[in-house]
Amino acid sequence: MEQITSSLAPPRAPASNKSSQASSSQSGAGSVAKRLGNELMTLMMSSSPGISAFPKSDSNLFDWVGTIEGAPGTVYAGLSFRISIHFPPNYPYVAPTIKFETPCYHPNVDIASGTICLDILQDKWSAVYSVQTILISLQSLLGEPYNASPLNSDAATTWKDQEAQVMRYYRPISEST
Amino acid sequence: MATDALRAQVAAKWQESFTRLNQNEPGIVGLLNFSQAWNIARECIRPRGLDEPDPLTEYDKSTFQASFELLNKCRRLPILLETFLDDMRKRLPVIKEEVDQYTLEYERTSDTSFILNLVFRLLQWYNKWMPRSELGATLQSAFVLSFQTHIFSILTPTFVRGFKELCASTLPPSDPSTSAPEPNIKMWEAFETLGLLDRYENIIASVGYEHIEAHVVSNFAGQWSTSVLGELRKWMTNQVVPWMLLMYGRNATTTDDARAMLQNVGSRFDFHMAKTLCDLRTKEIFDIIIDFPESTGALQDLKECLHRVDQRANLVHTLRKANHKRLLHPGADTRLILTQYVATIKCLRVIDPPGVLLFKVADPIRRYLRERPDTIRCIISNLTGDDDSGDPLVDDSEPIQPLHQTELEEYNDPNWEPEPVDAGPDFRANKPSDIVSTLVSIYDSKDLFVKELQVLLAQRLLSVTDDDSEKVEKERRSIEILKIRFGEAALQACEVMLKDMSDSKRIDGHVQSQNETVLHPTIISKHFWPMLEATEIVMPGQFRTLQEEYAKRYSTFKPDKQLRWLPHLGTVHLELQLEDRTIETNVPPLEAAFIELFSQQNVWTMDKLIDQVGSSVDKAAALKALLTWVDLGVLKEEGNNTFSLLEVADAAGTTPREPRAVANSAMELPSAPSVQQQQAEQMKVYWKFIEGMLTNLGSLPVDRIQNMLKLAPGYDQTVEQLGIFMEAARLEGLVVVRDGIWKLTPK
Repeated sequence: MEQITSSLAPPRAPASNKSSQASSSQSGAGSVAKRLGNELMTLMMSSSPGISAFPKSDSNLFDWVGTIEGAPGTVYAGLSFRISIHFPPNYPYVAPTIKFETPCYHPNVDIASGTICLDILQDKWSAVYSVQTILISLQSLLGEPYNASPLNSDAATTWKDQEAQVMRYYRPISEST
Repeated sequence: MATDALRAQVAAKWQESFTRLNQNEPGIVGLLNFSQAWNIARECIRPRGLDEPDPLTEYDKSTFQASFELLNKCRRLPILLETFLDDMRKRLPVIKEEVDQYTLEYERTSDTSFILNLVFRLLQWYNKWMPRSELGATLQSAFVLSFQTHIFSILTPTFVRGFKELCASTLPPSDPSTSAPEPNIKMWEAFETLGLLDRYENIIASVGYEHIEAHVVSNFAGQWSTSVLGELRKWMTNQVVPWMLLMYGRNATTTDDARAMLQNVGSRFDFHMAKTLCDLRTKEIFDIIIDFPESTGALQDLKECLHRVDQRANLVHTLRKANHKRLLHPGADTRLILTQYVATIKCLRVIDPPGVLLFKVADPIRRYLRERPDTIRCIISNLTGDDDSGDPLVDDSEPIQPLHQTELEEYNDPNWEPEPVDAGPDFRANKPSDIVSTLVSIYDSKDLFVKELQVLLAQRLLSVTDDDSEKVEKERRSIEILKIRFGEAALQACEVMLKDMSDSKRIDGHVQSQNETVLHPTIISKHFWPMLEATEIVMPGQFRTLQEEYAKRYSTFKPDKQLRWLPHLGTVHLELQLEDRTIETNVPPLEAAFIELFSQQNVWTMDKLIDQVGSSVDKAAALKALLTWVDLGVLKEEGNNTFSLLEVADAAGTTPREPRAVANSAMELPSAPSVQQQQAEQMKVYWKFIEGMLTNLGSLPVDRIQNMLKLAPGYDQTVEQLGIFMEAARLEGLVVVRDGIWKLTPK
């Protein structure tokens, strides 16, 4: 019963918790792991097409590997990108760090480091977001780049007419990865 | 070629011998005397025929003595002894002939008196040849040894057989009414004199052993109600010991002497008795367990015998074999196996309180039970006393205790005892716990039990019709009992289920008070009930109207909640008004739905009917429902899956046909998927996880998958089970495996 009520309870506001979070990070680790476990469960059960993620190992829930398939109808259709997700110890009050491991030629993605420019991963982050929502956002970002603040200006300029160029930098996920 | 020196040496030797024999007499007088004395002495100790006269009749006593003294002086006695033995050897064929004759006779007639006569005959020879005692012990003992050696070499295996039979004939009969044969003391003496007792000790002992064995088997096989060991010991004292005295205690003058003599052999016989009884009971152990508690006596005996003889391993082996052959096969009912298992527990606790034997025997049974799908159900239904067949596994007398958790050993306990020596490495010193704990511990966790209990409870509660609150009360009682065992927390869901029942009643009362309706639903909390089979029937016509009205009223009463109907559970009381007759009956909802449809139109095909109630109904169920009405004479099958309503009773149709499944189908318990099906459901969840990890992490060995699956809540499968599951997934083409590494089938 307790479990149900606690998981149904709205996430606490980040502001009121920031101070206590730092001091009690030790005790918080358990609840973070619990939240991550729940998110994993939800993600596994949701079966949203084309997105998926899983912890790298069973001992560390804070490092995940994710896979995003390009949505059909976009230039990325039929391609799949591997991403890494790192959760901070005070997740979900702080956004996870997400990077593309597969080089992605995209206006909002740095092709060398894989860094992503997405508002909900930076200043618009909220504790109600979850791995699943992030992955869905990323998937839609692939099809609809936010060209106003590009990380990869080259890609931004070629975006409109030279879609084929996008493919130049793509390497499929090899067996060894 | 002889040298002078050699010649001189021979001459000296010769001279010396001569002087010794001649006794310093002049000339060769001494030599002549010696010769005479030698002849007399040899003649008088010569082995004679039985009919020849005693030497004393020929020579007088002093002559002997003089001759022997002379021979002794000349140091020729050893030579005389050798000559005597040689003579004896030469006469032996006579004895051999006789022995052969007697044994032949025995072989022909199987009459042991021939053997007895042979023994006496041998004794005669023995006495005849025995040198006179004046001649010294050396000569006599040399004779005895030599005579016995020769006799033994002559005696044939046939004699041994006869001898054994002869001994057996002296035993007291096992039937106490006839008196024991007169002890033939002379015979035993003859045996001893001839050295037969020592030589054939084993045979005599085996006669005794066989006697004991025969007695035990013929008198005590199948006699389990009382302890027979005491009786057996008494029998030994009265019957066997006197017999043993004949052999082993003849020389005893006092009882103390006799006791000392019998000590050794007596304890051997006692051991053998215990061993025989132990063997017998071991052989019968399976049936003894079946007969428990009527067989307590036998168990007590077995316990004591096992103290005396170390046959524990044998007992375990025999019982395991019997269990394997007679119990653990598909033909045996699970209930039966459980009953026998419980009896085994009780019996072996009598025999071996520390439980080592039990642990060894129980292991295969438990493993087998674990594989049976209905074990849990059996145990649970037995625990709740819901079993009509036979006695409950658990005595009512046994106090109800909470389940024992396996505890770590407490070394600070002053009464701590080490594990018994024959305990295996994984023997758990289970403290004497109650039967239920033992049964529940067949499975690794009691969660399975709790889940199955919920399923059973759900089935039973759902079959409760209104005004049958007594049944609910009964369930409540049994849940209370189980709570003591499993703990309050584990049975919380059951508690909620029971509460739902009473709440439904209350809510129904409230709804009815506002607007009376014929519908009396049981409102259950989805989270706390086991998954119920979801065939979604859409109830047609008036039923739907009733449902909707009820739901509306319910939601005004409890605005935050919503009713989801499970119309396939429950029963409907119907009154059909046809043109010529009225039919009143209780039917399951599907039947009611169909007949409702017939009120709209008189002829339906089955497929149409199914479409009307929602296509989740399978054909078999639909056919069964329709046939119920056919049996009641309401519908008529037109062939081709078409049914028509009989507004006017069919002449043929009204002939009372045995209403087939009506009674049964109404009574049938609503089905809730068993734990197994739920597990399959669970596995689907785990597959999602496996899919997720293989998508993101590439290829993984099965161990990694197993570890990663720990992230999935409630995952409790073993690596073997996972392996089987993965293999099944491979066969479905979902995954591929190479060198033990699994990955998703490439798209």
